[in-house]
Amino acid sequence: MIELVKIRKVYRTGQVVYEALKGIHMKVNPGEFIAIMGPSGSGKSTLMNLLGCLDTPTEGFYFLEGEDVAGLSFDQLSEIRNKKIGFVFQSFNLLLYSTAFENIELPMLFDGIGRRERRERVEMLLERVGLKEWADHRPTEMSGGQQQRVAIARALANDPPIILADEPTGNLDSKSGKEIMDLFTELNREGKTILMVTHDHGIAGYARRKVEILDGQISTDTPNGFGHPTSPSPESPV
Amino acid sequence: MFFKTLYRDLVRQPLRTLLTLSGVVWGTFAVVLLLAFGSAVKEQTMKSFRGMGKGIVLVFPSTTTMAYKGLTKGREVRITPETVETLPTKLPETIEMVSPDFSRAKRIRRKKEEVFNTVRGVNVDYEKMRNTIPAKGRFLNDADLSLRRRVAFIGYTLAEKLFKEEDPVGQQIFIEGVPFTVVGVLIHKIQTSNYNGMRDEHAAFIPWTTYTALYGDKFVNCFIYRPIHPEESPQSIEVLRNHLGDRAGFSPQDKDALQIWDFSEMEGKINIFLLSLTIFLGMIGSFTLLVGGVGVASIMLVIVEERRREIGVKLAMGAKRRQILAQFFLESITVILTGGAVGFSMAALLLKVLPMDKIKDYVGVPKLNPLVALATVATLLIIGLISGMMPARKAASTDPIEALRG
Repeated sequence: MIELVKIRKVYRTGQVVYEALKGIHMKVNPGEFIAIMGPSGSGKSTLMNLLGCLDTPTEGFYFLEGEDVAGLSFDQLSEIRNKKIGFVFQSFNLLLYSTAFENIELPMLFDGIGRRERRERVEMLLERVGLKEWADHRPTEMSGGQQQRVAIARALANDPPIILADEPTGNLDSKSGKEIMDLFTELNREGKTILMVTHDHGIAGYARRKVEILDGQISTDTPNGFGHPTSPSPESPV
Repeated sequence: MFFKTLYRDLVRQPLRTLLTLSGVVWGTFAVVLLLAFGSAVKEQTMKSFRGMGKGIVLVFPSTTTMAYKGLTKGREVRITPETVETLPTKLPETIEMVSPDFSRAKRIRRKKEEVFNTVRGVNVDYEKMRNTIPAKGRFLNDADLSLRRRVAFIGYTLAEKLFKEEDPVGQQIFIEGVPFTVVGVLIHKIQTSNYNGMRDEHAAFIPWTTYTALYGDKFVNCFIYRPIHPEESPQSIEVLRNHLGDRAGFSPQDKDALQIWDFSEMEGKINIFLLSLTIFLGMIGSFTLLVGGVGVASIMLVIVEERRREIGVKLAMGAKRRQILAQFFLESITVILTGGAVGFSMAALLLKVLPMDKIKDYVGVPKLNPLVALATVATLLIIGLISGMMPARKAASTDPIEALRG
């Protein structure tokens, strides 16, 4: 599904050259749930941006479902983001002046999907994240956990195979955080490939594979054998 | 998709939209009013100018300032109406038509109404040169002149004063106790300048032959002529000086012997002045509108800055750069065109309800002519394009990674 080959990312500001990623090799199979960990400055954010097609590598290949996307233009990448990747952010990044319904609808607007189909899908997604009654509310009227669920519904709008989550529970209390992680686990079980950046080892425990980044390189890449007590993965021996 | 997000962006933040709008509304309001008034003033000035006559030259015999053929300076120049009337025959290449002009205030009475108004002794051609067109009846004719008839053509204000609602044509009035028959009444015309007495609306016009017979005047107060080629009126004046100098005893070089009021020349000057006035007003208006446009651009730039995160989100969700560009561009354009429409309507409304009666004669009735509308729309579009493009380009070049951080 995803294959990164010798990915390097170099930033130049004047005379200063900074190498954020120093040759990353990584392969992600469909249906995986991966936690990407690492201290700040390790390059994990850069890696997430590359994986999310928000940025292009200085060197190397990025195969997304067989297509090399490393050399595509911004607008071509926009189309890939729109159809293949759903984003979930730490600070939710909902449009404050739009209702939950309109926020979820957004990716479909950019895909040119018709009005009726949009309505059907948004309603289905609202129900899926348990916010059926909140369609006409704005983010400011909702709790953090509810906002993040709207954001997840939005990420699912165009039914992308991949979900990228950047510290999805970072701004939430532990109860809401757990609810969000349960939702991710469910989505993963339904076949979504999930890549999640986190600091929190407890949260990382929901994933089935853990990739640690250090100084722009992958330092460890291990299957999450122990799993999480409340969310046993299908393959884990319970 | 555009219209949906556009609607959301504009309607959900009414205060912001309103503030942005106000600059353009005011600018358009100002430009429309200025142009409407400008073109009205122009029209009105030309109209009242024509009220005096078109392409005519007024000649006032004055006093000599040079000695000439043994005559001392300081002599009064005296010209008889007969000399005046021979001019078109004597100078056929130069002068098309001419009329002597005698004038003095006289007592004019009808029944118990009496006024002390200007009476002019003129000939038939006066009508064509001074636009003394009859609303009722007729102007003086050749028979009136040759038979020295006691007939009068009267101004409309004089007619109202003496006759109220009655039809004056065919009725009698008394000028210095002598009965005259009214043959016609002047149409309503606008005239803001005049010479030798009252404006045409107050005056009575009688044959100059009758005038000299009754009042004993031998020399004209002034005379009017129309040159054959209006554009060559300065040359015609030279020819006239040469011709009359011989007969009336003044040097052709003596510029002050004849005082000249050349309307063709003045018309050209006034035209240029009015054109520059219109351009000037248009420029003031456009600059005001430009300030409005700069306002929109700067507010939109602030909005783009404020909405970086939103733009970042949209880009991450798969918006293409040109979609963002179009969104912000359309937003600016919508604000500017809406503001323009509102400002335009406000100006139109004001022009409708503004009481214009008092100043109508001087500035005319300002109205929205197609030219004003076209100029405003064109200016709005240009300003809209410029002030919409800048913020839109900035918005479209947003780096989603930067915008989404934190």
